[in-house]
Amino acid sequence: MTGKSSTDPIYDTNWPDMPPEIKLKCIRKLKFRDRLSLRCTAKAERSLVDSQKIDFTKGMFWGTDKFLGLMLYRDNHFDVGKCSADIKEEPFKLMNYIKKVGVFENLQFTCGSSFTDNQQFVTDIELFTARQIEFDVYNNANVVALLRKMKDGIESIKIDFHIEMEYSLDEILAVSHVQNVPYWHIKDYNETDSLRKVAQMWIDKNSEVGCTFQVSIEEKDGSFEVFLEHFTDRIVSKNEKRVRIHTNHPDRHILLERGLNDYVEDDDFPQFFRLLVIPTGMKESEYDENCKEWICKIDPEYYDDHDSESSFEEHDDEDDDVDFR
Amino acid sequence: MSSTEQGTSSAAPAEPTTAPESAAAPEVPESFYYVHGKDKVVHKVSAGALQHSALIHGMISNLGYTEEQAKANPFPFENIDGDILQMVVDWCNQHKGKPTPPEDTNLPKQKEKLFDLVLAVNYLEIKELLTYCCKQVAMMVKGKSPEEIREIWMIPTDAEDEAAEKEAKKRAGKEAAGETAAAAGDAK
Repeated sequence: MTGKSSTDPIYDTNWPDMPPEIKLKCIRKLKFRDRLSLRCTAKAERSLVDSQKIDFTKGMFWGTDKFLGLMLYRDNHFDVGKCSADIKEEPFKLMNYIKKVGVFENLQFTCGSSFTDNQQFVTDIELFTARQIEFDVYNNANVVALLRKMKDGIESIKIDFHIEMEYSLDEILAVSHVQNVPYWHIKDYNETDSLRKVAQMWIDKNSEVGCTFQVSIEEKDGSFEVFLEHFTDRIVSKNEKRVRIHTNHPDRHILLERGLNDYVEDDDFPQFFRLLVIPTGMKESEYDENCKEWICKIDPEYYDDHDSESSFEEHDDEDDDVDFR
Repeated sequence: MSSTEQGTSSAAPAEPTTAPESAAAPEVPESFYYVHGKDKVVHKVSAGALQHSALIHGMISNLGYTEEQAKANPFPFENIDGDILQMVVDWCNQHKGKPTPPEDTNLPKQKEKLFDLVLAVNYLEIKELLTYCCKQVAMMVKGKSPEEIREIWMIPTDAEDEAAEKEAKKRAGKEAAGETAAAAGDAK
């Protein structure tokens, strides 16, 4: 368009002629794998691509001590995947780049000891940006390490434990994201101290009304009793399903609910519990009597009639390899 | 569709021919405006179609032209090739008063034309069409390797960039030296 004297158009305009703001608009339309390719073409393109955040609806990272993999989704469509047997450098290099540019709606980690053992992961200062995070991990160190690699602003944390493994709840509760998150849960916990510890943490941190914690206990009985005993002098009301205690804040109470109905009975396992910070003025008539809904949130497969269909489409078998340099 | 007529490069724009806008004419007579590109071909476009362009819409609002004044003073877009402007006008007419669809399959597939269209649409501030064009640009390199992208989009390598930069600096230095010498000669 510029510098042509003839009225007969000569189309020699191309990408390098585009102003940066137009290039950025086009880069926003590129799939992630294509962005990775574009940033390998030249320094100028790399800095342009790297200046753009990219929204992912879902990110999945998984690994063992033998391999690491990732799958990323944009607008609920599969965008890019990579699986690597080299667990030392390359996947972490890519992961660190994803940390820098990715903004996740939902971020999932399924892993063994693969993250905490990697020096690059441990030392990298970039943080993930995510609204919801989910962990299915086999050791405490990974949960804590990954939680510490998150930026503020997390709205939900879901942790799946494995009953054969030992975890330290204290270490998890010490992470600021856990202390401030509006919703979090632990599935398949196998100790009786979670309700007591979370409620105490909320009291100590003066947590906001609306904070919610849920837990499913796989084998051990007694969580309700441990809570009652610990907060004896704070009890406002109690019955077989609920305990309400006061906090140090005059406007806030904590409500413990046990998930019991026609389907989930007193001696069943897993046991389901929910803790909430509620306003002091909340009446008993305002309590939520439908525990099925919140049980399904922590254990979607518990009720046979629950629709657990994934909203994410399967990706095809196209070559998932991406160019990352 | 707009009516167009080959214009000349003279100052006075050619009289555009008028063709029926559509079978179902609106009850209130529509206002028309006139635009031309580098080739001076004048396109008659309804105000409704031009609403897509924030730039032209702003010009219309500010100038407050009567139909006669508009006819006598087509908006000149000398930086836009004639056939690119034709594409833009066609798109505006096709999407006049309609919600824009999520995809647009009528965009040019030739990459060079597409890039010229992108620049024109950006200049004319046609937001929806720019979105389609950018998507189309992105599609050009879908699944391509860095080397393929470099070839398709004619991206110079870092080495080529550096060489071009050096050459430009050298040229600028020579020009500056020439100017200094000329100035010294003038002073004598």
